[in-house]
Amino acid sequence: MAELDLTLPPLTHEDLDRAADRARVYHAREHGRRWYLLWLLLGPGILAMLGENDGPSMISYATSGGAYGLGFFLPFILLTFAMAIVCQEMCMRVGAVTHRGYGQLVLERFGPLWGWFSAGDLIVTNVVTLIAEFVAIRVGLAYFHLGAGVAAALGLVLVAVTVLSGGRYWRWERIVLGLAVFNGLFLVAAIMVKPHWGSVGHALLTWSPFPGGSFNTLLLLIASTIGATVTPWMIFFQQSASADKGLTPSDLRQGRYDTIAGGVLAAVFGCGALIAGAALAGHYGAGIEGLAGAGFPASLKPIAGNTAATIFALGLIEAGAVAVLTISASTAYAVGECLGVAHSFNSQPRRALRFYASDVAGALIAAGIILIPGAPLLSIALNANVLATVLLPMALIFLIMLANDKQLMGEWTNKPSTNRIAIAIVAFISICGAAYGIDSFLQAVHLIPAG
Amino acid sequence: MANTPGSPAAPHNSPQKGEPSDQQLVMFLEHDQLAADTSVPVPRALLSRRAHTALWALRVFIILVSIMVIYTFAANLK
Repeated sequence: MAELDLTLPPLTHEDLDRAADRARVYHAREHGRRWYLLWLLLGPGILAMLGENDGPSMISYATSGGAYGLGFFLPFILLTFAMAIVCQEMCMRVGAVTHRGYGQLVLERFGPLWGWFSAGDLIVTNVVTLIAEFVAIRVGLAYFHLGAGVAAALGLVLVAVTVLSGGRYWRWERIVLGLAVFNGLFLVAAIMVKPHWGSVGHALLTWSPFPGGSFNTLLLLIASTIGATVTPWMIFFQQSASADKGLTPSDLRQGRYDTIAGGVLAAVFGCGALIAGAALAGHYGAGIEGLAGAGFPASLKPIAGNTAATIFALGLIEAGAVAVLTISASTAYAVGECLGVAHSFNSQPRRALRFYASDVAGALIAAGIILIPGAPLLSIALNANVLATVLLPMALIFLIMLANDKQLMGEWTNKPSTNRIAIAIVAFISICGAAYGIDSFLQAVHLIPAG
Repeated sequence: MANTPGSPAAPHNSPQKGEPSDQQLVMFLEHDQLAADTSVPVPRALLSRRAHTALWALRVFIILVSIMVIYTFAANLK
């Protein structure tokens, strides 16, 4: 023991808290308590996936349903979540094997320029997405006749409470998981609009009817649906949270279960939002901006009743609130890792000021912006997802490079089949993002006719 | 960084009943999991010129498309 003492570097609060969590994992594994072990190791995957079932995502799904009904977008959501599972499994694996976050590894392995580019992309998309989260909370609260001030205050109080309860990753994770469970409200809303289940099955099997109408709107919804399921912040978050939680290579199986469970739940709840939104197809003309003005919950009320509308509104508040917490966490991880300062929820706030300040700062900026009267709320929400889609390929390429890095990953590098799928995902996302960006730009400068 | 297969995630000596000491508790961590270890930078990767060129090409492409998306968003606001 004396010999061990000499080899141990100085211990931090972060080390001891993580060690306490690992002790429980060790005992659960030793005593063959498999379900308890899974309970202990669940977290980053479910939070990344349900966190991404956020306000703009649910608005995007509901908009797709409202504009096009059931059809192409229902199976498309399942496809995008399958893509998300592949990407997020890589994040979890790299985090568990290297014990380092994504931002830190990109910065150290590929140099400060690429590291700061990645962090810059993340911060830009996170601020825009956080605005959209507050928009979602505002839309949900508007149904209860509560204004933007309450939405801003609610989001900020949640961030403050989780930070002030701080100094413990486990506690932070369980609070957010407890809130994320209510993402299931979208499934309840879907059931309450009494959809024609045969049409749901037909859409899932045949990908039809294929959406018609404006080509550019279709591209926007495809790009924003992708951005609603795979985003830069999820990559930063799950890898850093896996390292912060203390996952090791011996936990990879449970990490995969966590990621798959998160993906399946998020896909089901996301389809719920689309099905609920599809109830609006054919009503009021279902123009996207029109729905934004009325608010989805208010539009649902005459069709599906007050209870369904109330549940949808509560779902939007929950989706926005959980995402405010997880996206703020990803910003904090990225800033802490790139600055080389403490970047763990196991760090005490007074010893990790910049980490916790970054956590709060993004939410503070976003909350301030939604208080501006007349802001184009739905447009911000949809474009936040599109921007995430456009910036995603760079983050994914570095993730694939890290997951194939023999020096870092040893025997846990990607399999060839995983690489083929991951490269196909990057190509698909790049094409979809570029198609929307170029088409809408050419329309905006009047080089091609609108439509 | 990657551990050799079978590297000990388990403690060298199990903690006693009651409150374990810090030294005993920390044995539940892998050695490279300590904050002091993770703060040591990993060595820089050596990228080929082709890889550099591909990364820059993707970077420029992404910046151009981002500008288009942001311009369109701003134009639609007017």
